[in-house]
Amino acid sequence: MYHTLLNSPVGAETQMLLPTVETMVGVLYFGLFAISFDFISGYTGYLSFGHAVFYGTGAYTVILIANGKLPLLGPGTPFMLSLLVGGLIAVVLAMLVGLVSFRLSGVYFAMITLGFAQVFYVFVRGWDYVATNPRDGPAVGPSHAEGFQIGVPGIDQLSLSIGVLTGDEVALLGSTLSGTEVSYYMIGLVVLACYFAMQRIIHSPFGRVLIAIRENEERAIAIGYNTYLYKLGAFAVSGFFAAVAGGLFAGFKRSASPENSFYFLVTGDALLASIIGGFGTLAGSLYGHLFDETVREFLSKAGQGGGLLPYLRALLGQETLDATLVGDTTIGGLIDLLLNGHASLYVGLVFVLFVLYVPDGLLGTLRARIGGTFAEALPEKLWGDSE
Amino acid sequence: MILEALVEFLTLGELGGVIVNGLAKSALYVMIASGLTLIFGLMGVLNFAHGSLTMVGAYLGGLLMVVTVTGGTAPLTRLGLFFVAIVVVFALLTVLGGAIETTIIRPLYDRPPIYQILLTFGLTLVIEEVVRIVLGVYGLQPLSDWQAALATKPQFLREPVALGPVSVGWMSLFQILLGTITVVGIWAFLTKTRYGLYIRAGSEDTEMASALGIDVRQVFTVVFALGIGLAGAAGTLLMWDPTWGASVPLAAETLLPAFIVVIVGGLGTFRGTVVAALVVGMADAVTTWWFQNVIEFTGLPELVLFLVLVVTLIVRPQGLFGVEEVGGH
Repeated sequence: MYHTLLNSPVGAETQMLLPTVETMVGVLYFGLFAISFDFISGYTGYLSFGHAVFYGTGAYTVILIANGKLPLLGPGTPFMLSLLVGGLIAVVLAMLVGLVSFRLSGVYFAMITLGFAQVFYVFVRGWDYVATNPRDGPAVGPSHAEGFQIGVPGIDQLSLSIGVLTGDEVALLGSTLSGTEVSYYMIGLVVLACYFAMQRIIHSPFGRVLIAIRENEERAIAIGYNTYLYKLGAFAVSGFFAAVAGGLFAGFKRSASPENSFYFLVTGDALLASIIGGFGTLAGSLYGHLFDETVREFLSKAGQGGGLLPYLRALLGQETLDATLVGDTTIGGLIDLLLNGHASLYVGLVFVLFVLYVPDGLLGTLRARIGGTFAEALPEKLWGDSE
Repeated sequence: MILEALVEFLTLGELGGVIVNGLAKSALYVMIASGLTLIFGLMGVLNFAHGSLTMVGAYLGGLLMVVTVTGGTAPLTRLGLFFVAIVVVFALLTVLGGAIETTIIRPLYDRPPIYQILLTFGLTLVIEEVVRIVLGVYGLQPLSDWQAALATKPQFLREPVALGPVSVGWMSLFQILLGTITVVGIWAFLTKTRYGLYIRAGSEDTEMASALGIDVRQVFTVVFALGIGLAGAAGTLLMWDPTWGASVPLAAETLLPAFIVVIVGGLGTFRGTVVAALVVGMADAVTTWWFQNVIEFTGLPELVLFLVLVVTLIVRPQGLFGVEEVGGH
């Protein structure tokens, strides 16, 4: 699909507008993390500012297992099992952190989870068991050269490897899917499964209680719910899926660093995604992150990923670029200055505008306009089904 | 081995040095955190952009120093220029803070407090990126400390001074001096001026204060502006400290300790912030000594800072001097 578009007459425009497949893989697994963040923060109203700790746990578990550094589990452990183990460790961690943190609320809750996460971040960054250079983080060692397999463990026909270089290539209907594209679909499957699981939980009576906690916790207590247990349960579920997301990230990238897994700014990115997509909408977080990444890539400098800068350069031609504007500033220099790798500026501006004027986010606003979730309201709008 | 280290640690020279270093660190922490605590105490806004504005202050202060100081400037003139720079940066950022409050923070007061966190978080992204662009124009490295600004520090501030058996840096004494000035200044402002009275009244009960005829909106603007100004002044001081320095990552480096100090002290109490800064600064200095001499774990001081936060919140969730209602929405 991507290639078809690239080879079409609007190829240059396509390359400018669309993110690369590799970025899209990132959107999937990080989108899952953002969804899990939304699961606890958007539904219960408790801002889990240290959520990155679960993401990092998942990522590090996968790599440590692959390097044979986790007791009882050898390097040959199937990837799907590693994901599960990472998730379970995160559940235990979430229980421990949650036990003390849920005694607090509001800003204090955000701060204590942030504190816990930073303790782990600093610890992992200094612990030389996880990697020879813990500051840079661990990578999958040469002893585990083959790619991680997603599918049914033990049955090769039902498993495919993921990774940029290590992924399987698949011939399908006369065209070949590259390793990255296979990763996209396989990781997409896992993310989809996790999303459905979380959606199922949110739409169960359990999820209703979470919303009740967000809307009015005192009333929920008065009705007779033990909100403490519900919050703890939600935190554990959310931690589990965050760790799965981290595991997918590590499985695809084959390395992780404290900065891109445990650091508090990782949670910040999930927060961005949730707010832009719509707080408390679950799926919105994925779209929010897609939006975020698209903007970033559109404004990034990397040539092969497309984006506005190379497109403008090619479109305007060298002479226009060299034309001087004011003093010795050329148009090319100005474009460079404003667009070269400064996507955060525009993402930040968009984010501020969203907080101010679109507090429900993309999906939330659309849902409010259409009057319900898409699956329910869209057919009604289109065909006028009235009950 | 631990015991030997303990004995060495408790000798007068070592312990005295650690205490002076701890006081110097406390002074820095109190300067970083006081703006944050003023803003939170009155308005309930947890300002995530505080670190970024400290970073902006560091660069602005550095810029003023680099422009005015030449190689031949006498040390005392440099010191005088530095105080001028602090005042100028404070004024500039106060104006900026006022502008931020009136334009984008004000519409959010009737929304849940989470939106203020979100908004100021977005603001950090914008501020940092703008700083990066400006630095790019002047060809400065955003990630490493700005050496030209560090070089404007007078020579004698780099040298140690002997206080009896204790050897400490002039820089530490200078920081303690500035920290004390800040604390006394804010304390006097809060308790001795009419405006300070408004602020304390507003912190206790905003509605009651406005019912008594105080223009709370105006007080909000002033406090936010002053808080940002303080962030900038702290940044100017950090620009001369080789372990901090003016760089873009300074934003995150100062934001987290500032949060720790404010939370440990209890959100919204200035007295708590001062005490917490002392606790955190001392903990930092002590663990830094142990890390340098005994324990080989690079992140030790940082780890302990966050542990202080976590333990405080477990044992005393409202902080050392906090009142439970403040921020407990």
